[in-house]
Amino acid sequence: MRLSRSTAWLLALPWVVTFGAFWLFPVVYSLIVGFTDYQLLDPQWRWIGWDNYRHLLTDPDFRNALENTFIFVIGTIPFTTVISLGMALLLNRKFPGRGFFRSGFFVPSITSLVVIALIFTSLYQRGGYVAMLAEMVGLTVPEYGFLQDRGTALYAIMAMDVWMSVGYYMLVFLSGLKAIPDELYEAAEISGAGRVRQFFSITLPLLKPTMLFVLVINSIKSFQVFIEIFVMTKGKFDTMTAVYFVYDRGLTTGFAFGYASAAAYILLVIIAVFSVAQFLMLRRRTPLW
Amino acid sequence: MNFAEKVRREMKRIVVLTLFCLLVGSSAMSTTIEWWQFWTDSDIKPVIESIVADFERANPGIQVKLHDLTWSNGHEKIVIALASGRGPDVLELGSDWIAQFADKGHLADISKFITDDSAAFQGWSMATYDGRVYAKPWVLGTRVLFANRGLLRQAGFDDDFVPIQYVDLLRSAQAIHRLGDDIYGWGSNAPEKHRLYKKFLPFFWSSGGRVFSDDGKYVLLAAMPAIDGLRKYKQLHDEVGYVASQRGIEDAFLDGKVGYVLSGDWLLKRIQKENRDIELASFLIPGPKFPGLSFMGGEFLAVNNASENKDAAMKLIDFITSPENQIRFCRAAQAANPSSLAAQQDDYFTSDMHLQTFIKQMNLSRHPPVDPDWVRIEAAIEEAVEDALFGSGYPAEALRKASLKVRQLKAR
Repeated sequence: MRLSRSTAWLLALPWVVTFGAFWLFPVVYSLIVGFTDYQLLDPQWRWIGWDNYRHLLTDPDFRNALENTFIFVIGTIPFTTVISLGMALLLNRKFPGRGFFRSGFFVPSITSLVVIALIFTSLYQRGGYVAMLAEMVGLTVPEYGFLQDRGTALYAIMAMDVWMSVGYYMLVFLSGLKAIPDELYEAAEISGAGRVRQFFSITLPLLKPTMLFVLVINSIKSFQVFIEIFVMTKGKFDTMTAVYFVYDRGLTTGFAFGYASAAAYILLVIIAVFSVAQFLMLRRRTPLW
Repeated sequence: MNFAEKVRREMKRIVVLTLFCLLVGSSAMSTTIEWWQFWTDSDIKPVIESIVADFERANPGIQVKLHDLTWSNGHEKIVIALASGRGPDVLELGSDWIAQFADKGHLADISKFITDDSAAFQGWSMATYDGRVYAKPWVLGTRVLFANRGLLRQAGFDDDFVPIQYVDLLRSAQAIHRLGDDIYGWGSNAPEKHRLYKKFLPFFWSSGGRVFSDDGKYVLLAAMPAIDGLRKYKQLHDEVGYVASQRGIEDAFLDGKVGYVLSGDWLLKRIQKENRDIELASFLIPGPKFPGLSFMGGEFLAVNNASENKDAAMKLIDFITSPENQIRFCRAAQAANPSSLAAQQDDYFTSDMHLQTFIKQMNLSRHPPVDPDWVRIEAAIEEAVEDALFGSGYPAEALRKASLKVRQLKAR
């Protein structure tokens, strides 16, 4: 049965309207607003060209926010990827209680991020469990707690992020591992290839599409880190990240929508460049490893 | 149809029409105004509702629609409502926000409503921007010094002891601090947004610090008195400070682990509500010229400039802020500082020595500059305090950076 063109449009209309109103319009609108001096409370705004972008490039707070964001991205992605892949490899084997561990590791991914952030805020505070554990192994603990120290606050949030994310990516890797035919491993074994060789010659190359997905999605998520910062430090102690900067300038201190929109677009460009670079690297035919 | 039936039918029509006209007429005559307010606590909200009900009884043509806001996102909601050109008729505003909204024309100028009776209210200066008044003071707030008298006694200070100078405060806090490993002399705030600066400002102002020069041309955040104030605050923090959130500090204070805290009237409410057993002493802020200056802020009621019912809105504001309704509200909220001078003379305030401390301190308090950029200036000051206490550790350098930021902000 062929649908008429008008019926097809009618059926697609709810999605088209939602897409237009809640995605396309804000994206285009914020791009335009980024070239104006629009402040939420000020009904009159004017076109100022690249001024917001020029000012952002010399704004020490924005530079600091970008630095923190890069530290967050570069500091979490390798750990999240390696740990979740390791967990997936372990849980891909058959052993009693495997289902329990799979579910257990996945639980943080379906728990509210706000709840997790609040629990970790308590764990990281002065006299909290993390401080106690650190003291037990002879580490120096920040005087006022891990989240109240410029040297540790961002890293403490990053550690929480890794803990929280590995379960989800483990599941993604597990689905990738399931797609690799067993015959390949059997053939490799017959040929005398050990487990390490099998991993580098079969598993890793065939996991490339999954790896690409994990890296791109995790990078985008890490570049957009916000809720953890909002709940745990409010951007204090050198934890201001790019999205928190956008929120702060746009909705809390200045209501400078033009300036905040420009900052959001700089972040968009960075994420796009980063994602394309990852895509190109992993699309190469020659092996990376 | 006979004649009697015809009459009955016509009578029915007349009755229905009359009822319809009455209904339409009454709704057309009634004005509905909307009030956005922040008091959602189960002790206070019923009082707000009863004040509104009394207002509606006294003004039969005016209906009031209440809308609750929370402190976590109320400011953002107000901003978005005002930016949309709609929003409520009456707004409860924190004193720090008035200039920001007034500057962009979102608040109605209520200067014409100022009468001789207005002198009977405190706090007008916080609502005056560019020579015009944009809000009416409702409940004001300041900070006083609370002490655990029991700990002071254990530390060797008799019951008449009052910290007059900063050095008295430091000396007694140090003595308390020496009482045990789990005892601290001073409750020092962790960097919580919109809170930390309120704790620092009493030291800043009592040391002679100022944000701007009188003519508003110069930023004085890095001047010697300002640095002196931050050094004093930092000394307490470094030497005898128990660092935690405001709630955490108050918990420790009420548990008898902290000698001094700088706090507001909500602490009195908490002590009573939780039936805490603490030998509480309340002092005016110490300073070189005792008493020192504390922080002043408050809740104000403003009329949205986009409101079509400004007169009705102002009527509601006058009703809420009347001395008798302020007393009702303050009793429920256990707030210490009604803006009405007449309300301050009520037994409720005069019979309680701690509330009296608040009322006295209010007269010796200073509010932040009424500046549309205050929220960002405040952020710069908080950053400086945070840097001096938890970061670089250098008050002068931290304040120099804050001063530079404020200068750049004002230059734009």
